[in-house]
Amino acid sequence: MSVTGVDDPADADLRAARRQRVFDAMDAAGLDALVLGRRDSVAYATGVRSLWTAGTRLFGPACVLVAARRSVHLLSTWDEGVPPEVPFEHLYGVTWNPAVMAGSLAAVPGLPEARRIGVDGLSVGFASAAGRLAPGASLVPADDVLQAVRAVKLPAEVERMRVAVAVATAGVGVASAALATGASPSEALADTLAAVGTAGVTVPTSAPLVEPVGEAASLVRVDLGFLVDGYEGGRGRTVPAGGSGDPRLDTVREAQRRLIDACRPGASGTDLQATAAGPGAAGAAGWLVRGSGMGFEAPVVTDALGGSAVLAENMVLSVEASIDGVVRRDLVLVTPAGGQPL
Amino acid sequence: MGSDLSTVLASHRWGPAADVDVGRMMRARHARLQAAMAEQGVDVAVLLHGGNVTYATGRAVRGVDAAHAAYERPVAVVVAGEERPHLLDGLWPELDEGAEALGRVLADVARPLAGKRVAVDVQTGAMVRSGVLAEATLADAGTVVGPAKLTKTADELACIAIAQRRNEEAMVATQRACRPGATRAEVAGVFLAELVRLGAGANLIDPIFQPMPRSRATGPRTTTGDVAFPTGVGNPTFGSGDVVWVDTGIDHLGYASDFGRTWVVGRDPSPAEQALFSRWCDVMVAVLDVLRPGVTGGDLCRAADDAAGGGVAALPEPAPEVGVRTPTSGARTGWGRPWLPHFYLAHGVGVESAEMPLVGTDLGAAFDDGLVMAPGMVLVLEPVAWEDGVGGYRSEEIVAVTDDGWVHLGGGHPYEPFGS
Repeated sequence: MSVTGVDDPADADLRAARRQRVFDAMDAAGLDALVLGRRDSVAYATGVRSLWTAGTRLFGPACVLVAARRSVHLLSTWDEGVPPEVPFEHLYGVTWNPAVMAGSLAAVPGLPEARRIGVDGLSVGFASAAGRLAPGASLVPADDVLQAVRAVKLPAEVERMRVAVAVATAGVGVASAALATGASPSEALADTLAAVGTAGVTVPTSAPLVEPVGEAASLVRVDLGFLVDGYEGGRGRTVPAGGSGDPRLDTVREAQRRLIDACRPGASGTDLQATAAGPGAAGAAGWLVRGSGMGFEAPVVTDALGGSAVLAENMVLSVEASIDGVVRRDLVLVTPAGGQPL
Repeated sequence: MGSDLSTVLASHRWGPAADVDVGRMMRARHARLQAAMAEQGVDVAVLLHGGNVTYATGRAVRGVDAAHAAYERPVAVVVAGEERPHLLDGLWPELDEGAEALGRVLADVARPLAGKRVAVDVQTGAMVRSGVLAEATLADAGTVVGPAKLTKTADELACIAIAQRRNEEAMVATQRACRPGATRAEVAGVFLAELVRLGAGANLIDPIFQPMPRSRATGPRTTTGDVAFPTGVGNPTFGSGDVVWVDTGIDHLGYASDFGRTWVVGRDPSPAEQALFSRWCDVMVAVLDVLRPGVTGGDLCRAADDAAGGGVAALPEPAPEVGVRTPTSGARTGWGRPWLPHFYLAHGVGVESAEMPLVGTDLGAAFDDGLVMAPGMVLVLEPVAWEDGVGGYRSEEIVAVTDDGWVHLGGGHPYEPFGS
């Protein structure tokens, strides 16, 4: 498994295209500056490779983009993993001291003069710091701006995601093969994680699952999601542990097929809800369609929400259908001919 | 010297880690949160950050990426005077519909919100757009959760000890796999597989096995002028003789471990490297010797500085960035103190992998001198012994302050190949 780095020319091209989209979106939204805290947002906008940690983070200014200067400033104590287009002088180091952080932000050219500052989350501490840094500036939620930019994938992003899906698919294969030879679910998961590590990948998106379905344990659910070079690959299958089939496998496959087929440009969340509830889909008790890219993304459509979402060509969606813990999930590209599994 | 430290740690070992009474632990945490809310005059706490939700409700969402965790996050609402927290699952607060649903719940459990003092840790964009908390007076939830979790109960200490000892157990096979020709990800895969085989909790950080440079100048450029660690970037192949700094963390019932060691790939340490290990042990023994209730973080820093005294390390050119501190006299890392300047001599651990008490940070000497050690505080000690041209030694040990001293929460994992 080849793993690209920030010095790879293809990575530079992809970063430039993403950055252009972000600055264009800032212009369209009238944002003078963008302050981002989420790992995935920061990776999208800046291209930085950084240490992965699990779980949510409190909001903090992990990067700053200034529209007028087309400049990117980044919270990092070192230049390792930092793309060359972000000069060393644009790095501000890790600090535990709010006064030091305030000084770092005040030194970002153009930020103190900003009138509209977009953020992808907000804390009380940052709101008051921003008030001192740029008095009179308004803090504007810009998570929706980024979601819209990220939802439709560039061709190079789709290629990255195909590679990531191949890793997840290979992982499901390792788990299935182990289960077929009598391994326990936890033995199969251990084998899978070791194999994926040997392929160069160690960072999950969703929690890796190999677990029995129900008490009979004749079926095992395998669901893997990994970040490979910053992009998500995922696949979920339910496999018979003893070799015998189960009618629910066919029901779930058909329910997922119908949802995937409905993933066309212009389709709405309401359309997906109708497909999930419509004739022929009976029996699939659960489903989730959500965006995928540099992790979990918009849109999110379930029985209960996301009806107003509208699909567009070249979105990538995770399409999952389930019944009684029997689950099937794939990442698909939205095309005029319906969803195409990556 | 390694044997001295091992003896000291063994004589203070806590355990065997007792079973955790989850119900008792949650009642104690709720009482502490309520006390902190009363102290701060907070009427309602609205918590969305994973560690805070875990602390308030016991619900741990572990081992998943930040984006997944954010979209799927549960929300905790703690109302002053109530016996139990509210745990709101399946809300989707990243989405406008989810934020509006949160608003309806808040209107139900805390009406009217107008005029109330609400502590919140993080608001999603959707929450800001929908004005869920617009009528309330907002406070930083850190002012409530921080004091509540500053000291730990015996149940919490047991969680940390169990996490740490399982983490250590998984490292036995992992260290064997760290040999010439292996990649960082391959070794990490062995560790992740071991966690599953041992029935340990979720992994919390991409496992760090970072080959370290011999000198600051040959490593990545930094804003501090000092050593870069942990970068978490790339997938290096280990060569014979590499000195590898290891750092991992896993979960047990919402509490984090923090395992740190220095390994040498495919050979024994050189005499100069062994000497660095001895100096690191000197610093550890000196800090533990003064650790007890009533001493300050500043006392711990001075003990570390004194133990690291002696030879003077070459100091780097000062970097121009904001936040760079003037190197002091003494020895060891580039800024003259025996820990990394962007981190700390010691940090707490609990529902966060690094939380208060933070000792030796850029919050400064006055902060350290005001930080008084108290029973139930947890410290992850992580000094660094560095000699430019030779390289560095770094390991970590977790201790908890007791009524009259301290206990070691780790299980006594060896310092191979430097010492037992």
